[in-house]
Formats: sequence, structure tokens, C-alpha cells
Amino acid sequence: MTLLDVKSLSVRFSGLTALDDVSFTLEEGNVRAVIGPNGAGKSTLFNAISGYVTPTSGTVHLHGHELTQLTPHEIAERGIRRTFQNGGLFPALTVLENVLTGLHAQTHGSFLDILLGRSKALKSEAENIHRARELLKLMSMEHMADTRAGDLSGGQQRIVEIVRTVASDPPVLLLDEPAVGLSPEARAQMMEIIHRLAGEKGVGILLIEHAVELVMAAADRILVMAAGARIAEGTPEEIREDRAVLEAYLGHS
Amino acid sequence: MSQTMPTATQRRLRTYAFWAVPVLLLLLPLATNPYTQFIANGMLISVLVTLGFTLTIGNLGQLAFANTAFFGIGAYASAILAAKLGVPWLLTIPLAGAFGALGGFLASAAALRGIRTYYLAIITLAFGELMRWAYLHAKPVTGGTDGMPMPREALFGISLGDDSLKFYIFLGVTVLLVKATLNLMRSRFGRAVMAVRENEIATASLAIPTARVILVTFMWSGFVVGCAGALFARHVGHVFPESFGMLHLIASFAMVLVGGLGSVLGAVLGAVLLTALPEYLRAFPGMEELFFGLIVAGVLVAMPMGLASLLRRLSPVFVERFYREAP
Amino acid sequence: MLMQLTLGGLSQGMIYALIALSLTVVYRSTTVVNFGHGDFVMAGAFLSYVLVVLAGVAFLPAAALAMIAMFVLGVMFNRGLIRPILGGPHIGLALMCIAAGYVLRGLARMVWGREVLPMPPVFDMDPIFVGELVITGDAVFIIGTVLVLLLLFFGLMAMTDLGKMVQAVYQSPRGARLIGLNVDRFNDFSWGIGAALGALGGILVAPVSLLHPDLGASFLIKGFAAMTLGGFGSLGGAVLGGVLLGLAEQYAGAYIDSALIEITAYVVIVAVLFIRPQGLFGRKAVVKV
Repeated sequence: MTLLDVKSLSVRFSGLTALDDVSFTLEEGNVRAVIGPNGAGKSTLFNAISGYVTPTSGTVHLHGHELTQLTPHEIAERGIRRTFQNGGLFPALTVLENVLTGLHAQTHGSFLDILLGRSKALKSEAENIHRARELLKLMSMEHMADTRAGDLSGGQQRIVEIVRTVASDPPVLLLDEPAVGLSPEARAQMMEIIHRLAGEKGVGILLIEHAVELVMAAADRILVMAAGARIAEGTPEEIREDRAVLEAYLGHS
Repeated sequence: MSQTMPTATQRRLRTYAFWAVPVLLLLLPLATNPYTQFIANGMLISVLVTLGFTLTIGNLGQLAFANTAFFGIGAYASAILAAKLGVPWLLTIPLAGAFGALGGFLASAAALRGIRTYYLAIITLAFGELMRWAYLHAKPVTGGTDGMPMPREALFGISLGDDSLKFYIFLGVTVLLVKATLNLMRSRFGRAVMAVRENEIATASLAIPTARVILVTFMWSGFVVGCAGALFARHVGHVFPESFGMLHLIASFAMVLVGGLGSVLGAVLGAVLLTALPEYLRAFPGMEELFFGLIVAGVLVAMPMGLASLLRRLSPVFVERFYREAP
Repeated sequence: MLMQLTLGGLSQGMIYALIALSLTVVYRSTTVVNFGHGDFVMAGAFLSYVLVVLAGVAFLPAAALAMIAMFVLGVMFNRGLIRPILGGPHIGLALMCIAAGYVLRGLARMVWGREVLPMPPVFDMDPIFVGELVITGDAVFIIGTVLVLLLLFFGLMAMTDLGKMVQAVYQSPRGARLIGLNVDRFNDFSWGIGAALGALGGILVAPVSLLHPDLGASFLIKGFAAMTLGGFGSLGGAVLGGVLLGLAEQYAGAYIDSALIEITAYVVIVAVLFIRPQGLFGRKAVVKV
């Protein structure tokens, strides 16, 4: 089933074309990697899909509903969640609190319920705390629940950020260089997490990654970009053979 | 480094302690003379002012100095409603809170227009001074430089000029607002406020409406401080424009910092500790300014996290977090 | 009438320009907005008062001594209290500056209580009449002094390496450090100059106004308004913003309502930040929410 449908998405900033007519789809349980040299428009693509940049033209649909003009938090609420290249955790909050922020929209109770400490709000809060702890347990991070996120190692931070991002069971996940700066072991763990999310939960994952061997191993399909435009698209095998790709990208690495 | 969290027993203890303090305080008027009672009443008002202030500059992390404006708006709203429209003073407390919240709405408009850091500080300072100008020049409504006297009123046959009666009312309002604020902070809302401070962009990616979080935080801060303004009007019995100037602002800073930015417990501690001393300093010109100035500078250099962080190291009972474990 | 107002506005505006310029000098070097600057201005005025009235020093040497003292104070404040927390959050820096201001204000009040002090007129020159226009010695002196100073300041910035250094530190403190610039000493110097220039503003207004320990607060707001109008961080903008603010106050006070003189600065701040946050020459000041 098609989750995400991106059609001719373009972004221009004052004369500069950052994203040029990019189209692709993302299926349930699939991992699609986006690769390309620096300045290829990968981050702009992510920002345009998640609402941080308003597309100049083109559309983004999730489950057939258009999201193109929505704000970042509205898009996140519809089910597209993302991580950030330089880390999006809240350092002063604990690991548990960080994961709970990912469940914000899933926590019930109005402002007044919260203010008055009504049981409706408290019950929902308790359920979510339970859920957050379960998720941390799955990643063997439960003993870190009360650690300040800022005190974690880089690899642990990446994993907590992913836990926080998937806590609300979003159908689509955008991962912006999740393995950058990780040790080989942490990298392997990250790959396994990505496989499990796609394989077991059917999450559609869009992945920006520079490590080519990692992309080849993890992705079902690959989108290759250069100078804001799509230059190739296909399975890892097809991409490996593609001359345009070799010239534009792989040739340099 | 993992933080030690309070155990279930410690949490229960904490809940008892929270309610035991106001219950014990009910006995306080038996032990005070009129002067010390007046100071104790002032402490309760400072608690609310500091609490409202720490929410915007500590938790939300915005350099917003509009709290003196909220305080003045609350006090004048109470005085005008009571003196000009004959509204019973008790009723003016929530109404003053509502006007304070309106002030918070205006202050957040600047933050939501994207005016941040120093610009927000400057525009909110200007807001406070504009309000003071309005108190001075809207003479028919505010009394100008002469200020506004509060009308005489009685409750259950006791004059509202009675400091013990005022104490019970102030205590009730303060406990309610501190409890409500704690509820807020230890919920998804409190986490969202902290998240906006830590990383606003990432916050939005978690389906948290950041603009609304900023707006509501300012409005709640305005509400709490506006209510405090209504208490203040009755406390001193006469509202003057000078009460809402820069001296009030530095005193609030000192209280927030000494207690610890963004800590509810710290707000209470800072307010209680720093309300009494200036009363004694008032006789010596310049000492108040010097005292608060040195305290703020000293705390910033030596103890930037305030008293709350010292207590936290002492016992996990004092650890404040932004969620609430089921009992 | 219009000419008279313009002259009054210019002489006020020159003071504002000086204060805004001194705020900007500090801001550009350390990115700290000195929220206690108004009290530095006040301190300058008081020091000159002490020297002239109590110690019997002549006005010009007294002014020079007061500026030197404030220079030293600015350097000490930067070294002792700003540098240790420079990497920290904005809030701490802003509060530190406010605290320093209150300490100065408290000291002034300890000595003078709630008295308001008149300074003897310094330029006992008969006013010059040009048609309807009355030109006082004070106006000539203020405008003249500030103009000379501005020429000197911008001249030095343009002719010497100082200008390049200021630009380099403003663009990238780390880069400036890498190319061997002693950024710490440069920051000390900027704070010293900022404090001394601000003090000069106080010294210049002292003979034409009454002195009291709270006089800094309004000058701080005027300085901010001038900076905001001219564009935060722009040196030329600060000067132009100050002059325009001085003129706007006089015109609004005369043609609309005299009560407006006091709040013109606030209105300017609110209006500029909401309508054109970057001011006339500044960088963009707004973040996207």
C-alpha cells in the first residue's frame, strides 16, 4: 500500500532552486534511501515533506490526503515523524521525558483537566509513561530512563531520538543521517532497528545516509539526487549499475 | 549520569508535606505581630509573582520582562473593579488574573511574531513602561500619580483591612495556584514548555503546537501574576504607579535566580527568603538596589542553578520532573 | 517653531545617538546587550557632578576623569563578571548587566538619597538669536562635542585597522581568534569604550537636566529605541536612529501632545519590531516560528 506520495515537489529560494521537480512514492514496510552529494537537496526534501519549508510547487500526500500547506506540527500529527541530522533531543529533559514528548498528541485531557489534576488526564499520563518505559525496554534502554538526555553518548542519543520519534506509531518515518558519527557496533544496531521498524511494524522509512554500503544493505529502493533534482531511482542493484550515478556521486566517494 | 528519582515512599511523603505546610501555616497569625504578619502576607504575593516569572524565563526560556506589567495590570484591574464598579474584592482576584492573562497574550504576540532574545526583552520592557505611563496619564480611571485607594470592605463581619484575614485568603489563593502550576508542569504541557526552550524546531516535529505552547505559557504566567496583583492591591490598600517599576523587576529576578530558574520549589524558596530582608533595608536609601544587584550577580557567578539544585543534591525528595508517576 | 524644535531634537538626539552607539560597540564585540547601560550613563553624570561641584575641578578635566574612570569600570565589569558567563545563556548575561546597573544605582542613592541635584550651568553663554530661533550654549556644546566625537570614531574605524578588527570580531569571534587577534583584550577595550561613551552621554546632559539616581532607566530605553530604529548592531544606524528619535520626540510632543515625549521611544520600539524588525540598516532580527 502506498503511504507517501510525493509529486513534482519543487522549492525555490530567491532564484535558487533547492529542489527541482522531485517525485516518488513510499510503500508500507519499505525503506527508501535518498543519497546524493552535499547540496543535492536531500535536507530540503525532508524539510519540504515535514513542513519546515513551504514547497514552491508540487504536492505531498499521506494515505491520499494532501499535506502540502500544513505546518510542521500538523504534519507530524497526521503521521509523518522525523529525526534531525544534528540531533533533536531535549538535553535538559530525561530520557523518559524525551520519549514522552513524542507521545504528546496521544496524551489525553484538556488544559483544564491538566490544571485541575482530573483523573482523565492522570490516567492517560500513566498509560503513556507505561508505554514509554516499554519502548525503552525494547531497546534495552530502560535503565537510562532517568538520565538527562544531554548526558548520553552520541549513539545512545540517536537511539533515544528514534524511540521518541516512533513512540506514537507513525506510518512514515524520515531519518536524517541516523548513523553519522556512530561506532560500527552502534551502526549495526541502528540498521537492525530500521529493519525491525519496517519489517515488523510496516513503517515506511525515508532515509538520508552518506555511508553507501549501509544504504545498499538497508534500502529497498534508492533515490539519487544531485543539484536539487532526481538523477536516478531504483533498487540498490540497479543503482550500482547506473552510469549517471557513478559519475555524479559514487565516482567521487 | 543517572539522576536518583524519589521512591514511592518519598513521593508520598512529598505529597503530605505539600499539604502540611499550608495547614501548619494556618496557625501562623497566632504567632505574629501586625508587622511580621504584613511581611508574611507580602511573602505569599512574592511567591506568586516569582512563580509566574520563572515559567516564562526559566521553563519557556524566553527573555521576557513583562511580568511587572502583568502585576500592575492585575493590581489596577482589582482596584478599578473594586473602587469604581463596586465589585467585591474577592471576585476581582480571578478577574485580575484574566486581565493579567490578557497581558500575557499581548506579550506572547511579540514572541510569536518571531521577536526573541534581546528583542523580546526590549519590547517587553517597553510594554511594562508603557503600562506605567498609562497608569500615570489615565487619571480619571487610575488616579494618576495619586494612585487608587482600595474601598473599605468586610468579609464575615471582619474588615478586609485585617492582616490575619488577608493572610488566610492570600494563603488559599497561593496554594491553589501553586498546585495548579505544579499540575501543569508535571504534564505533557510542562514537557512541551521545556521542549520549546530546548529545541523549538524539534518540538514541532513531535506534533506539539509550539505557538500555542508559548501563548498559553505567557497567559498562565499572566494569570498567576495578575491574581498576585489583586492580592497586592488589598495588601497595601492603595495602588501607586511606582510599585510597578524597575525595582520590582530586579527583586523578581533575584527571587527567581536564588531559587533556581524554572523550579516551582525554587520560586517559593526565593520569594520567601528575599521578601523579608528588603523590608528592613528600606530605611536605608540605595540598600535595596545594591542588595538585589549583588545577589543577582553573585548567584549568576557562584550558583547559577539556584537553591533548588542544592536541595536536589541533598535528597531525591526535592527532584522536580516533568511527569507524574501513578501513585 | 519648526526650527526651534529641530534644534532641540538634534541636541537630544545627539545624546541618544551617543548612548545607542556605545551600546552597539559592546554588542558588536561580545553580543551582549548591556541592560545596565542606563546606569553607566547615570554614573558618568554623577562622577562629573562630584568632581565639578564637590571637588571643584573644572568641567573639562572633570569630564575626562569621569570618562577614564568609567572606562576602567567597563573593563573590570567585562573581565570580572561578563567573561566568566559569556558562553552561557542570554538570560544570565542580561541579568548580570541589569544587576550591575542596580549596584551603580544603589551606590548613587546611598550617597544622595532621594535628592534631585541641579548641576551648575557649564556654558554660561548668552543665547544667540537667529530670527525667531534661540540657540543656547548647551545645544551648541552638545551637538558640537558629539559631532566631533562621531567624526573621530568613524574616522578611526575607516582609516585604521581597528575598523577591520571590529568587523572581524563581529562576523566570527572564533575566526578572529584564529588569525591571532586577542579577542579577550578587544572585548575589554570595547566594554571600556562603551562605558566611557555612555558616561559621556551622562556628562553632557548633566548641566542641562536634574540629576537623580534613576535617570538611567529612561536613557536605556531611548538607547534601545535608537538601536532598534537604526538596526541592531549597525554603528551608523545607531547614530541615525538616535537623531531621528530625538527629532520624533520633539515633533510629537509639540504637534500632538506633550505627554507623548516620554513614550515616543516605547512606541518606536514596538512599532519597529512589529513592522520592520531589522530596522533601517540591521540584520534580520526575527526567527521563524
